[in-house]
Amino acid sequence: MNGALNRKVLFLLGPVAVLVMFAAVVWMASQLMNREYREPYRVPSAAVDATPRTQGLTAERADAEAKAKATPYAEVEYRAFPIVGSRVAIWAVAELHLLFAAFVLAVPIFAIIIEVIGYKTGDQRYDRLAYEFTKLLSTSFSLTATFGACLTFMLIILYPKFTNYLMSVFSPTFLPYVLLFFFEAFFLYTYYYGWGKFHPLVHIGLGIGLNLVGTGIMMIANAWVTFMTSPAGISDQGAVLSVRDAIFNYTWMPINIHRFIANIAFGGSVAGAYAAFKFLQAETDEERAHYDWMGYIGNFVAISAFLPLPFAGYYLAKEIYAFSQTLGLTMMGGAFSWLFIVQAVLIGNLFLAANYYLWLGMGRVEGVQPLQKFIKYLLVGITLCFAVWATPRSIIATVSELRAMGGGTHPILGYFGVMSAKNTAVNMLILTTFMSFLLYRRTGKVAAVPWAKKGHAAQLTIFAAAAFIVIFLGVYGYFVEATVRIALSVPQVSSVLFAMVAITAIDVFLFRGAKKTGEVRWGRMPVVSQYVLIFIAVTFTWLMGLMGYIRSGLRQHWHVYGVVRDTSVDAFTPTIGFATRVVSVTVLLFFLLVGFVFWITSLHDKPDFQPETEEARARRRHGSGELSPKFALEAPGEHGPAS
Amino acid sequence: MTIPHPVRVGALVLAATMFYTYVGQMVPQKEVLPPQETLIRADLTTDDMVKVGQEIMNGKGLCFTCHTLGKTEGPFRFPDMSGVDVRAKTRVPGLSDVEYFAQSIYEPEKFIVPGFNPGMPVINKPPIGLNDQEILCVIAYLQTLGGTPTVTLQTAHHYYTPPGAPGAAPPGAPGAPGAAPAPAAASAPGAAPSAPPAATGTPPAAPGRTPAPAAPAKGTR
Repeated sequence: MNGALNRKVLFLLGPVAVLVMFAAVVWMASQLMNREYREPYRVPSAAVDATPRTQGLTAERADAEAKAKATPYAEVEYRAFPIVGSRVAIWAVAELHLLFAAFVLAVPIFAIIIEVIGYKTGDQRYDRLAYEFTKLLSTSFSLTATFGACLTFMLIILYPKFTNYLMSVFSPTFLPYVLLFFFEAFFLYTYYYGWGKFHPLVHIGLGIGLNLVGTGIMMIANAWVTFMTSPAGISDQGAVLSVRDAIFNYTWMPINIHRFIANIAFGGSVAGAYAAFKFLQAETDEERAHYDWMGYIGNFVAISAFLPLPFAGYYLAKEIYAFSQTLGLTMMGGAFSWLFIVQAVLIGNLFLAANYYLWLGMGRVEGVQPLQKFIKYLLVGITLCFAVWATPRSIIATVSELRAMGGGTHPILGYFGVMSAKNTAVNMLILTTFMSFLLYRRTGKVAAVPWAKKGHAAQLTIFAAAAFIVIFLGVYGYFVEATVRIALSVPQVSSVLFAMVAITAIDVFLFRGAKKTGEVRWGRMPVVSQYVLIFIAVTFTWLMGLMGYIRSGLRQHWHVYGVVRDTSVDAFTPTIGFATRVVSVTVLLFFLLVGFVFWITSLHDKPDFQPETEEARARRRHGSGELSPKFALEAPGEHGPAS
Repeated sequence: MTIPHPVRVGALVLAATMFYTYVGQMVPQKEVLPPQETLIRADLTTDDMVKVGQEIMNGKGLCFTCHTLGKTEGPFRFPDMSGVDVRAKTRVPGLSDVEYFAQSIYEPEKFIVPGFNPGMPVINKPPIGLNDQEILCVIAYLQTLGGTPTVTLQTAHHYYTPPGAPGAAPPGAPGAPGAAPAPAAASAPGAAPSAPPAATGTPPAAPGRTPAPAAPAKGTR
């Protein structure tokens, strides 16, 4: 019944559909016809002269050509990059170049140190570890060079006038730079491919050469960058008076030091992330043990370099203030001051994550329980310092909240937002993390020297004295004038540095020939610890992106501060939100490329490609492991698994 | 179902990055535009100059990056500007308030207020680079902070003599000190203030009194 009804319906609907389609075709045809070209109405040729159209076009072209020839050459000041604009394009490419360059400069530093340790101790594990780190270099170096070339071309295309000016100031430095770059390639590839092919001392020599050349390259490039912030060696009109002074500008050496240390911290963290990634994919205990150790070394390098980094930061900030108070205040009290709250969150996370990793790492060692009781105190200390450091001076509030507070500053929390509190907090953070390191170092060991008790007491006294000085000067800073207060950071920093050096020195002698209470069981780490290592690497990368923005953005509407003004459409300073989005996109791009580097590097360990045998093909065709009837009938040993 | 480690690692990288981006959105958002040029007409009255001066101090002059206005307590990095005209009249013996303000702007290192560190940049040079007329407007505004504005665009002081003002050398006179610097020239990079003119009503120039170099001690700038 239903089938018959459906056929009837179809029978009726068929002609209707045909009619509708016909109507549609007619309508479409009429629409198209309406748009066809039609000759416009022209006045009959008898009435007017014929328009000399061809002649007119020729004359127009000739006129345009003559005008173009007569126009003198004028240098273009800016060109626009499509969609995202020139500034964001340069920003992202420069940041990617810097991140890879930092990694390529950092890895050889700790690779050579590990290699030297291996050579001195004769422990082949160190040599293998150094080689494992070096394996990451080859692809990274290519990417650094690619992004460097890309950055140069983009600067020439998008900012020709400014680039031309910079080239005119630093022209004597370019050839040495290229030459050093050539040497860098020579040393890097010889160091990598020559592993195990030379006498160890020759190979170490290559590594030292690689590091020296790499540092030289960085210092030349730093001269260009720092000149933009704190120009020197030029007249008020920008004419070059002394290239030497242009290089030795106010912020050159602080940036050299800051970048050298920061590169090591960053490189260590990325190498640690590589080890963590490999640990997570490891299939045997042996692999896990190796990558756990590699991750530990990477993190150790990162945090060891990270601890003195704030001091290098102080030095840089001091020189910025010395060059221009306006620039310094723009950084710390003006448009960029809130970025330091974001920075505090990043650094706080780094400290927390690094300490957490160390505390988890204690679990590798047997007999760790006596030391684990201290962790809770360290955690409380770190959290408090983090909270103080991340407290802003002024608070975003509604009008009623402002009235209730009696101003933009909170009556209590406002006291934690000033430099005295923040300097104290960061110094205590460093001291606390150092204590975590120390605790980790002595897990599974008991000092056996006769003066062990006195040694422990001396260490504790130095630590307590440093903590007292830091806190006392922090509180004292509230009661003195700015001129005195600024100077207080020097003894604070000095006491922390002294404590770290002195306590380490005592520790080395104290634990010489120490009694072992438990073995380190490498590879016995919870999986979460490896994610902590990756988190540390992401945070370091993001921090570098942010600080790079602060350093560069500080110039605001100047390409070269006070000399070459930015007159492009991007001359304004963007919001912090926008800047952080650009930083995030760059960081994600970087990690995508780092994933590529890790993948390429892991190919090194994979077995070579073997053409598929007939037997394997047959296995694949008939499911896993099951031989085809043909092979099953044959004698084992000819084609079977035993063969 | 077990999520593969590479996916987890990717998610962690993405989550951490997004978290930091979120933190970046939580702080105050402000776009800082390059300072606008202020048009100074030749017929500005003193009252107009006060308004222009206030505008310059808030914008192009970047004065309130360092100085405060109306701050009564707490740490001061640089002097607060409230009632500054009262102090300016007696701060340096022999200098009127106008001369004192001019000295602070053209030669800030010459006199440092006790209790503070030097750090004020030379305002008529880049990166701030106010021209002489703009500086007169700033002085007019500063005079309102505790006093009554008296300057006009024809006011001469130790560092600047307006063209046509009493004591100004005829334009083009050879070696004439302060031979009528054009506003544009004065604001251009390197247009160092000329030697003090012998303007009417200005105190005698101290021997060897030349404008301080714009620059920092290190290097040539």
